[in-house]
Amino acid sequence: MQPKMPHMYIALVLLFPIFAFNAAAETLPAGEEIARRINARDEGEVVSRLVTMTMTDRGGTERVRETKSFRKYFGKEKRTVIFYLSPANIRDTAFLTYDYPEADRDDDQWLYLPAARKVRRISASDRGDYFLGTDLTYEDIRKETKVGIEDYSWKTLGEETIDGHRCFLVEEVPVDEKTATELGYGRVHSWVDAEIWMVRQAKFWDVAGNLLKTTQFKEIKPIQNIWTAHQIVSENHKTGHKTLFTFKDVDYGQRVKDELFTEDGLRRGF
Amino acid sequence: MAWSYAQCGAIALAFWFIAAGALAAGTSEDGESAKPNNLRISAILESEGAYGIARDRASKLEFLIDPQLEYRFSEDTRVTAIARLYSEGFDYLEPGRPSQAEVAPNSRRLLLGDRSDIELREFYLKTLLGGTHLTLGKQQVVWGKADGLKLLDVVNPQNFREFILDNFDDSRIPLWTVNAEIPIGESTLQFLWIPDRSSHQLPQANATFAFTSPLIVPQAPPGVAVNLRSIERPNNILTDSDIGMRFSTFWHGWDLTANYLYHYADFPVFFQSLSLGSGAPVATVAPRYERNHLLGGSFSNAFGNLTVRGEATYNTDRFVLTTNRNGGDGVIKTGEIAYVLGLDWFGIQDSLVSFQVFQSWLLNPANGIVREALDTTTTLLLRRHFWNETLEAEMLWLHNVNFCDGLIRPKVSYELRDNMKIWTGFDLFYGDHNGLFGQFGRNDRLVIGMEIGL
Repeated sequence: MQPKMPHMYIALVLLFPIFAFNAAAETLPAGEEIARRINARDEGEVVSRLVTMTMTDRGGTERVRETKSFRKYFGKEKRTVIFYLSPANIRDTAFLTYDYPEADRDDDQWLYLPAARKVRRISASDRGDYFLGTDLTYEDIRKETKVGIEDYSWKTLGEETIDGHRCFLVEEVPVDEKTATELGYGRVHSWVDAEIWMVRQAKFWDVAGNLLKTTQFKEIKPIQNIWTAHQIVSENHKTGHKTLFTFKDVDYGQRVKDELFTEDGLRRGF
Repeated sequence: MAWSYAQCGAIALAFWFIAAGALAAGTSEDGESAKPNNLRISAILESEGAYGIARDRASKLEFLIDPQLEYRFSEDTRVTAIARLYSEGFDYLEPGRPSQAEVAPNSRRLLLGDRSDIELREFYLKTLLGGTHLTLGKQQVVWGKADGLKLLDVVNPQNFREFILDNFDDSRIPLWTVNAEIPIGESTLQFLWIPDRSSHQLPQANATFAFTSPLIVPQAPPGVAVNLRSIERPNNILTDSDIGMRFSTFWHGWDLTANYLYHYADFPVFFQSLSLGSGAPVATVAPRYERNHLLGGSFSNAFGNLTVRGEATYNTDRFVLTTNRNGGDGVIKTGEIAYVLGLDWFGIQDSLVSFQVFQSWLLNPANGIVREALDTTTTLLLRRHFWNETLEAEMLWLHNVNFCDGLIRPKVSYELRDNMKIWTGFDLFYGDHNGLFGQFGRNDRLVIGMEIGL
């Protein structure tokens, strides 16, 4: 028996990392579970806030948009409306979206352009189009801090620290080519806070596999007991364009009228 | 008389100084506009020049300042005032002092000489009264889903000094209106009462965009003198006012409206009679505004990357010019059914391809009318954004099938900074000079402009 001992030691030493990895993996929640936790996080039935969008191009030229944004749940259906307050030449531009819970139902979107004084129905299928010159897509704007579980297959890659917070690193791959084309992403890595289940950072690759952009959620603080990002920075690595979203006067308790989330409400303005 | 180039240069320089000063005054050191909570003061400065290609001369040099003030009394109550200082250097669009006879006295512009005027564009109070949104005062009310041509968007009249080339927001004539909108769940019921008797402002005969098409202007037979009477206008504030209703709803993904407008059509009807005055035949033209009932509706919905939208109208009293003068007064009255169907395709990222077909069908066409019973116009709009929507390239093409005439408008605009936009483009007319577009065949132009928001 004795001569066999060294072999056993060698085998144990060789197998230890595998056992250790498996043990660690067992402690990590599955990707889909993390996605479900993100979407289960309380984001309030209603919210109103002032959002300043600062868009900076590669040359450093800045464009600043001030907006007032409202979001309200009607059952499981999420409606979001954004009114532009400045600059004066685009003031009163407004965007309305209905985000339906049914995976097989297209969302509905409207855009009010004050130069035409008409509300235009816009397609919600090109989810990867960039929202009014920013570096977030229409889909990003609709989802806010939530994620489209059904659009991706989810895989937990490990654990990392972002801004001093323990995060799960999750890889999301679109479920098919059509979805990838619609979203404009071939792969996404998200760093999800292990305690509050908010994405703190995400990296996006395009459908060709090139690194596209990085989005960071910063100054995450509780407002009326709801964790709220007060800054979102999204930088497009291809174009060098960057958008900083700054949130002020966030209020989850304000009374927001249902009629604000209608085509006529969009036209009447805020 | 037109301004000299030196005068134009001086005005342009003054405009830029005002823009730069206002920009500096309106911006604090940290880049945020200084504004009290309840008071919002802003302004749009716009300048546009045009060079007439066929006439080989500058055809327009326009400066426009729209100061806007909004005071918010409460969350639901606010008052808005928008004024306009307008100057045009060459005086070709509205030569001399326009009479403004078509516009109600309390809605007219204050003329500052031949080339400048001041106007109270909009002045209204918005408030919520027992669940009803009230907008009281001078305002624009826009109906419909169509682009470029109007079926339902007829609540406000229009200044045609640049035909349909000006932004509709700029060319619409705001009216004193009582506008009540009552939300009913996902729906809204709107009532309009419009005592303002203003109508389309049509360019005078020597203006660049004066109408010459027989579709609009009656043509006197050769050798016949014309006696044009002044326009007979409705002027009773109560009995001659317009009323309108609109019901809008969102139903199973469809945006739907039903509209009704009892109004005076904004184009005058040119009633004609022939007589023998001192031995020579004289055609007397007596323009008059006529009542019309408009019944209509609109819809829109999105299917994947395609958006479908449309409007349909039934007009009870359309007056069409006729060349058949046997005992008639030069016009025939008929009902009209018209519709527009539009398809917007968003299949390419950051791009829009939009196609529309308009058709107007006269229900009682008579021999000799100056248009065909069925009139068809198509439009095609191609638009693409570049560089995070700082650059926009578009091409709009309107084509009338009956006259084979049309208008092509390529345009490129660039957002130079966050509140400043510049653009250049062409307005190119083609086709039969009797057509609505072809009549302006000599008005092709190159346009350059800029806009600053303060």
